[in-house]
Amino acid sequence: MTALTSIAFYLGVIAYSAATTLFFLELMRSDATASRAVWATRLLAFAALLHGTHVVSASLLTRVCPVESLHFALSLSALVAVVVYLVFQGRSRLYAMGAFVAPLGLTFLVAAQFVGQSASLELPFSRALLALHIAANVLGVGLFLLAGAAGIFYLVQDRRLRQKKILGTGGRLPPLETLDRSAHRLLLAGFPLLTFGVVTGAVFTQKLGEFEGLALARSLLGYATWLLVAGVLVMRRLGSFGGRRAAYGTLAGVLCLLLVLFVYAVQPAGGPPS
Amino acid sequence: MIVVVGLSHKSAPIAVREQLALSQQDIPDFLRGLVASEEVGEALLVSTCNRVELVAAARATNDDLEAVAKACVRAIGERAPGVKTHLYAHSGAKAVRHLFRVAASLDSLVLGEPQILGQVKDAYELAREAGTVGPLLHRTLSRAIRSAKRVRTETSIGSGQVSVPSVAVDLARQVFGELKGHRALLVGSGEMAETVARLLAGSGARILVVGRTKEKVEELARSVGGEGRLWNELRSSLAEADVVISSTSAPDFVIDYEAVHAARKSRRGRMQVYIDLAVPRDVDPVIEKLDGVYLYNIDDLSKVVAQTLSARSLEAEAAERIVETESQNYDRWAGAEVATPTIVALRQRLSGTLRYELDRSMRSRLKHLSNDDRAALEKMLDAAVNRLLHHPTMHLRRSAMERSLDGVGFEQLAAVLEDLFELGSASQVDESPGASIAPPEVESSELPKKTGGASG
Repeated sequence: MTALTSIAFYLGVIAYSAATTLFFLELMRSDATASRAVWATRLLAFAALLHGTHVVSASLLTRVCPVESLHFALSLSALVAVVVYLVFQGRSRLYAMGAFVAPLGLTFLVAAQFVGQSASLELPFSRALLALHIAANVLGVGLFLLAGAAGIFYLVQDRRLRQKKILGTGGRLPPLETLDRSAHRLLLAGFPLLTFGVVTGAVFTQKLGEFEGLALARSLLGYATWLLVAGVLVMRRLGSFGGRRAAYGTLAGVLCLLLVLFVYAVQPAGGPPS
Repeated sequence: MIVVVGLSHKSAPIAVREQLALSQQDIPDFLRGLVASEEVGEALLVSTCNRVELVAAARATNDDLEAVAKACVRAIGERAPGVKTHLYAHSGAKAVRHLFRVAASLDSLVLGEPQILGQVKDAYELAREAGTVGPLLHRTLSRAIRSAKRVRTETSIGSGQVSVPSVAVDLARQVFGELKGHRALLVGSGEMAETVARLLAGSGARILVVGRTKEKVEELARSVGGEGRLWNELRSSLAEADVVISSTSAPDFVIDYEAVHAARKSRRGRMQVYIDLAVPRDVDPVIEKLDGVYLYNIDDLSKVVAQTLSARSLEAEAAERIVETESQNYDRWAGAEVATPTIVALRQRLSGTLRYELDRSMRSRLKHLSNDDRAALEKMLDAAVNRLLHHPTMHLRRSAMERSLDGVGFEQLAAVLEDLFELGSASQVDESPGASIAPPEVESSELPKKTGGASG
């Protein structure tokens, strides 16, 4: 089992690295002839398979449920983002976003190795609820990271078009409307998961009586994320928000989410998620 | 020799060029006004999206090209005072070379684009109809067109091009991806705008056409497979359109900030691409400040097209060599043309003298000859004059060409001939345009279909 875990990890790192390189080369091509970055996508799919194998084998080895450990949660979030991307990438030249998703998978696969595991604690609430809480957050983070990537690509493409750079390097970016629509749909899909995560997190915080320090910062950042994403969605619905402003709003929400993850990462082992 | 005075995409941005945009109806009067001046004998105006250039020649009695250039600058300045600092002026051989390069599309923003040759021919035709083209401009334009044709047939400068319409459609794709189901609005008409509309329709977009004249709108809508609407529906149509292509001849903006802002509001922020192919511009550039609104004018699109130049640089070098050869040939021809008045006078002197003597003889000693005999004698005299003058004519032309190099020789010969044969009065040339050599019309088959738009 240890050998399988190691092999999956190292091969996963190699496959993610190769896919990242190919995606970037594809992105930097200046000609506009269609190429679906077939090999980059295949490598990314292979890397995702190895990534999943690593998560499952490592959790079996350590006897820790993947959704109950930050170690796996981070890794799973990235895997979710990669899988969602692979499912939807074929539509409307979204393949350019592989240049974001592939390094994301690589980073979280490697970074998760250095994050301490949660200790088994006696918790004043149901373990099943905790598992649901983490699963929802893992999925939500994956979707929001993709939404953030779409937002970044939107701003880059918007800038290119405003500077009248229709041809040349970067001409293979996805169409603006596709990026805008993708970011919106990803936010819509992730928002119920985020809401569930925030509500259950608030319940856990209440039961654990954690109202200060990093736990408080984490909670506040979680609420800020929720408010920002909700704000973007409502404003879009009202029709007064879209394009650049929506992209900036999405990125602000994703930034708060990354800060929540950062607080998790620096929190002393044993603290429950929220 | 000629002068060229004007401005182009190299010397002036679109905001300046549009100040000098003249409609087809205004050009004849403008040219007539110019040739009515003391200095200018012939004139034509090349007016495209990317350039407005006056090509002018001095009166036959006055070879002061500097004065001609000044008169052109003055005429342009009166029309559009704001453009004066952007004007350039070429005279003599430099002007000829410039004109040849323009006609051959070597001075165009999009190297090798095909429209400019047709536009130069149109400019000539318009000036000819206005009566402002004389023998010099006729010969110069003929040679410029011939040079441009050589460039197109002997090089591949026009092949493998990205065109302004194709860039416009690519731009729409970069914003919307697949265009199927999207709406494109064509405001006004124009060959290039119609091409863009057809390309968009071919990509699956639905086309709306808005114009001022019902018949024109319906005809245009039919030709691009779209739906026609009248001008008062422009604002409501803007709200429906994802891509707006505008190409009217209106002197002011027809799509302003308020209209676009209102359209954006009713579209609930959905993106819009505006493609302004008109000069003067139709769309207020301020709309670019709006989120999700992208505006491209003819300069923007042409610059993108020009980025594809590198692949054609070798062809451009070959084309430059052709233009160089042709302009040197022109210089030689123009030099030789200096001898024409002397040759014509000499011929008139000889023919006149011989015919005078023939007439006298026909009235006395030869009065028994029939009309046929008289005609035969006249033919014989003409042949004798031709034979006699063949060598002197060649010698005079050669010395006139050499004169353009060293500045001596021809004047001495001409002076001697004038003295010997009393040619002074015979070498006077009528200076009205087209008086000495009537310019034949450019064959209609030579004129390519007008495609308008980004050229020159």
